[in-house]
Amino acid sequence: MSASITAVADLSDRSIMGDDRLVRTSRVAYVVAVISLIAAAFVAWKQNDPHGLAMIWLQNGIFVLTLSLGAFFFVMVQHITNAGWAVAIRRIAEAQAANLTWIWVLFLVPMFWLLITNREWNGFGHGLAIIWPWADMAHLTEHSPAEGAIVAQKTAFLNPTFFMIRACVYFAFWALATRWFLSTSRRQDQTGDATLSTKMRYAAAPCLILFALTSTFAAVDWIMSLSPAWFSTMFGIYFFAGTCAGGFSIIAIGCLRLQAMGYLRGVITAEHYQDIGKMIWAFGIVFWAYIAFSQYMLIWYGNLPEETVWFLARQVGDWAWVSVALIVGHFFIPFLFFISRWMKRWRGTLAFGALWMLAFSWIDIYWLVMPVVPHDVATFTTYDALAAAYATTSTGLGNPLNYLMLVGFIGLSIGSATGRLSRGSVLCRRDPRLNESLQFENI
Amino acid sequence: MTTFSPQTQTSSPSPSPKSSLLPLYGMMAEFETPAQIMEAAKKVNAAGYRFWDCHVPFPVHGLDKAMGIKRTILPLLVFGAGMTGTIVGFCLQAFTNAASFSIWALVWVTGYPFLISGKPLMSVPAWIPIIFELTILLSALSAVGLMFLMNGLPRLSHPLLSNIRFRRATDDRFFIVIESRDPKFLRSKTEAFMKTLGAKHIEVVEDR
Repeated sequence: MSASITAVADLSDRSIMGDDRLVRTSRVAYVVAVISLIAAAFVAWKQNDPHGLAMIWLQNGIFVLTLSLGAFFFVMVQHITNAGWAVAIRRIAEAQAANLTWIWVLFLVPMFWLLITNREWNGFGHGLAIIWPWADMAHLTEHSPAEGAIVAQKTAFLNPTFFMIRACVYFAFWALATRWFLSTSRRQDQTGDATLSTKMRYAAAPCLILFALTSTFAAVDWIMSLSPAWFSTMFGIYFFAGTCAGGFSIIAIGCLRLQAMGYLRGVITAEHYQDIGKMIWAFGIVFWAYIAFSQYMLIWYGNLPEETVWFLARQVGDWAWVSVALIVGHFFIPFLFFISRWMKRWRGTLAFGALWMLAFSWIDIYWLVMPVVPHDVATFTTYDALAAAYATTSTGLGNPLNYLMLVGFIGLSIGSATGRLSRGSVLCRRDPRLNESLQFENI
Repeated sequence: MTTFSPQTQTSSPSPSPKSSLLPLYGMMAEFETPAQIMEAAKKVNAAGYRFWDCHVPFPVHGLDKAMGIKRTILPLLVFGAGMTGTIVGFCLQAFTNAASFSIWALVWVTGYPFLISGKPLMSVPAWIPIIFELTILLSALSAVGLMFLMNGLPRLSHPLLSNIRFRRATDDRFFIVIESRDPKFLRSKTEAFMKTLGAKHIEVVEDR
């Protein structure tokens, strides 16, 4: 209809079918991942700190998990709204989301290993207690009685057996759902059956409900229960906002990389980039800040010690700088950076902004997972005394293990996603709304 | 539903003696498809007309570009209004909570310092909801208000609205209207130009 479409979409095989170029990228990513994981194993062996290794593993595991969860949410939300514009980029999100078919290995295998061996970790208790203190109640009660008394009432929920069952349920749902969305979309590539689009739209509704429940409970289980006496009813949604920041950014970067490699020429245009940018801005920046502030303000104003200790742990010593960096770097700077439409439409600025958001969603997860509430917090009479006693608390950001594990896990994630893309079309090429997506223009 | 008068059904303008006494608003060309109006809009733009507009029953993507319309500066103004809200919200609370302002306000004034749950007087977290709300309020009001203002709205009537043919602009026809106040407007020349656009119908619009 519109005569102003100047860029003609290139729908030749060279442009939309995965081939050697993606296989090569995938191999490079795997090689980088394996090298840095070997280096990480060496560094971990040298450092000989099982607790530190477990925490770094958990933090980076959750980071790559959020990237795929964000992409999974993106896929479902486009289906449920019957969105035409996103058809041109949906396959990239589907491939990224389908990493959830194997990410369970990073979580369940070490968890079961900790559970089965059930070793005494010096100073942390048995088995899973090396990460989650509630897993060894005897040790927790002996170590800090006040916290133990609170957590004792939560053991019906927080116990290793139920915890493992829940983890299996989350991963089973994520793996099956993302696999189904990718394979159904691929079936449509072959058959061109328009009813598959309707089917995916119907499936998106219950899947979104299950996604909300599983991601909330996963955040509670794996992150919030690191400080088992603490609670926040906004925690799940905060985690979700973080997944959007990372997940949408990786989709943007994926689209930019594929185009730079010569795929999807004229298929993805500045119009699509602007809309991905809008989603990063709305969900990952503004919504994240809104939720983060709402959570902070309620706890700050209520001023109840069992709630404020969690933020206390994040503002003593060097953690104060990380907290400030998050406010500035996860909200103020990208908010102003991405507010103009041109910053979302130009590839260079979009790539920079998306990488920036990826970096800060990693820091966000780090800030959630790593700080430890001082065990003797109840013995201080004033905040200043506590701040002075813990003034030298280190964030551990200088530990190279963080970055080696990060590169390793991200490498596996990229290698797997690009490998998946190389085995089929990189475009939902027979989706009935493809033409709408190709001609899409922002008003 | 629409009934056409014999005058408006003629395919070339033949103004009646009565209508020729009325001031001229402009020339109107009617098209049947979005593709036609898109092509025509490009030509009108290229011909250098400035006071002209397209009237279509639904958004036609790309028409703005074809007409050569520059992007509105409204977003910048809304950003300014939003920032004003932020600053006003901050200053309002800083002022009302202040114990003294001798230095910055250059006068010795006191606000209404009131201790709430042991928080410091200058507690920025507590102010953020107000700052946020004022930012949103001023942005939203200025977005709507300036949109009306820049579009010349509200207005009680418009010469096009008394044209019977023009009623189909809300249904299935696409119109280009070149106004007589355009410096390049000359009735005979503009009419001749409009005939080259491939319109279904061309008509004079009077300023009733």
